[in-house]
Amino acid sequence: MTGLLGPNGSGKSTLIKSLLGLVKTQQGRGSVLGIPWPEQDRAIRDLVGYLPEDDCYIAGLNGIESVAFMANLSGLPGTEGLRRAHEVCDFCDISEERYRPVESYSTGMRQKLKFAQALVHDPPFLILDEPTTGLDPNQREAMLSRIRTLSAKLGKSVLLSTHILHDVRSVCDQVIMLVDGSVKIIDTLDNLSRPSEPTIHLSLMGDPTDFIERLRNDGFSINQEIDGSLKVVGVHLDQTTQLWTAAAATDTRIRRMEPARNALEQIFFDAASKGKVK
Amino acid sequence: MPIHDLGYRPWNGYRTAPLLRPIFVAKSGISLVWRRRWLRLMLMLSWIPIIFPAMGIFAFEYSSSDPEMKGFVTQLISGPMRRPDLAYVAMTDPDAARHEVWSTLILTFFRYPQLCAMVLLVGLIAPMLISYDLRSKAYLLYFSRPLRPMEYIAGKAAVLCFFLTATITFPALILYFLGILLSPSLSVVVDTWDIPLRIMAATLVLVIPTTSLALCYSSLTSESRYATISWFATWILGIVAYQILTFMRVLSGPGRGRRARALAETSIDFDRYRLLSPYHTLGKVESWCFGLDPTPGSVWPAFLVLLVITFGGIWIVRRRILARLSV
Repeated sequence: MTGLLGPNGSGKSTLIKSLLGLVKTQQGRGSVLGIPWPEQDRAIRDLVGYLPEDDCYIAGLNGIESVAFMANLSGLPGTEGLRRAHEVCDFCDISEERYRPVESYSTGMRQKLKFAQALVHDPPFLILDEPTTGLDPNQREAMLSRIRTLSAKLGKSVLLSTHILHDVRSVCDQVIMLVDGSVKIIDTLDNLSRPSEPTIHLSLMGDPTDFIERLRNDGFSINQEIDGSLKVVGVHLDQTTQLWTAAAATDTRIRRMEPARNALEQIFFDAASKGKVK
Repeated sequence: MPIHDLGYRPWNGYRTAPLLRPIFVAKSGISLVWRRRWLRLMLMLSWIPIIFPAMGIFAFEYSSSDPEMKGFVTQLISGPMRRPDLAYVAMTDPDAARHEVWSTLILTFFRYPQLCAMVLLVGLIAPMLISYDLRSKAYLLYFSRPLRPMEYIAGKAAVLCFFLTATITFPALILYFLGILLSPSLSVVVDTWDIPLRIMAATLVLVIPTTSLALCYSSLTSESRYATISWFATWILGIVAYQILTFMRVLSGPGRGRRARALAETSIDFDRYRLLSPYHTLGKVESWCFGLDPTPGSVWPAFLVLLVITFGGIWIVRRRILARLSV
């Protein structure tokens, strides 16, 4: 599962539309699911489930008709399309509302409906553009859980375009960061989160001045965070004894000790600001 | 959670060919329009005028055996149908006049009640076909599937074609077959076999440019009411402009009596301003399809205008859709 990140106007939606062949590209070639791109965009669209960012619906239809119609457009025969639409609505937690006209749906309901429409033909690749927009916290968690299920248990590839970094952190394995139309970062979330040097993150109780002094004397480099916590650079997980010893010697109480990870927010801001400076 | 909820299940069934998918666009559009009660009522009402030409055909076929009927038919053809020459032939040699009388009656049915019904029907259905999709951004959903803009347009056009066929072609064909059933002998089929083909040709002439124009108006705005206004304005202004320019000479002429006006009418060039009015342009080509073109001007300028409207309309719709997708 890949998260597509980038500030507004960085080209995320354009990239998605290009992949689907909705926007003509001037140069570049590639393949999507092994299908040559951009030559066979129609075949690609047949295998992709797309959840657009925009609030879009087919006026006049009710929920189940909308999903069944999308199934028909993807080639599912009439009755089979309707049966499948009911099944996917159940999966997406669209209950009796499926019989209401889509115009009367709330933003969250429309989001779930679009998700059902994207899934109805069982595509191997899902492109989800801001899938959690307009959902309340419970529904957001449920939506992310569904996405996780589809990716982890059913082996679907997912491209998740979002501004919500929490969503990326909770479901994605890889991240692509776009700034001004070009890829700034492409890596796994694990690699991105890992600091360049082994670092331990400590939360302490009381005044840490003596403890910091002691560690500096021992040759460690220390960064103090805004919240008062410390990042001790150059300490492997198997070297934590030195930290415990220093804490005992300076009468400092350690509340929490864990390997430090880079914050995705910071990576995002850094990449975006570098792009702007450039 | 419903007790029948089985979670997500993969699907790997048979898929219809991509080329058949515009049918689903048409099917969905037809079913949406069909839900409107006023439309079903309008369709029923649009079939009522079939009675009058059917009675005309019935009267013509029985005029050879009934002298009273003969007088009525002669009056009908020379009066309301304005064909005294045909009335004379019908009186002296009904078999020779049969094809022309039938064609004239069916063309009259095509030209007046059904064309008006068509303008009304398209004006109420067509504006919402694409403008609603633009307003609700439904085009993103359509084109996330393997559907090309031209297939989408074909699907939307099929909605209009379906209702226009139901309003115009079916009644005209029924009128023809009713005429055969009301005739004393089935031998009339030999004289009139080509009329259903002419009906089909006239249908194509009517349906294709009007559909293209209506979809074009619908694609130009996301407010369907503006498309409706433009549609009706095109027809009304066209007719008014044509009538004013053509009959100005008659109205401003020296003669005040009916005879003087009739004389002036014979010298009017009906083809000169015809292309200003879609109604009269269509009328010219339809009359040509039935072999009844009464005016001396060539049909090709009118035909060309209809072609330009057709291809121009489709080009604009396609451009509008592609422009929306690239945003």
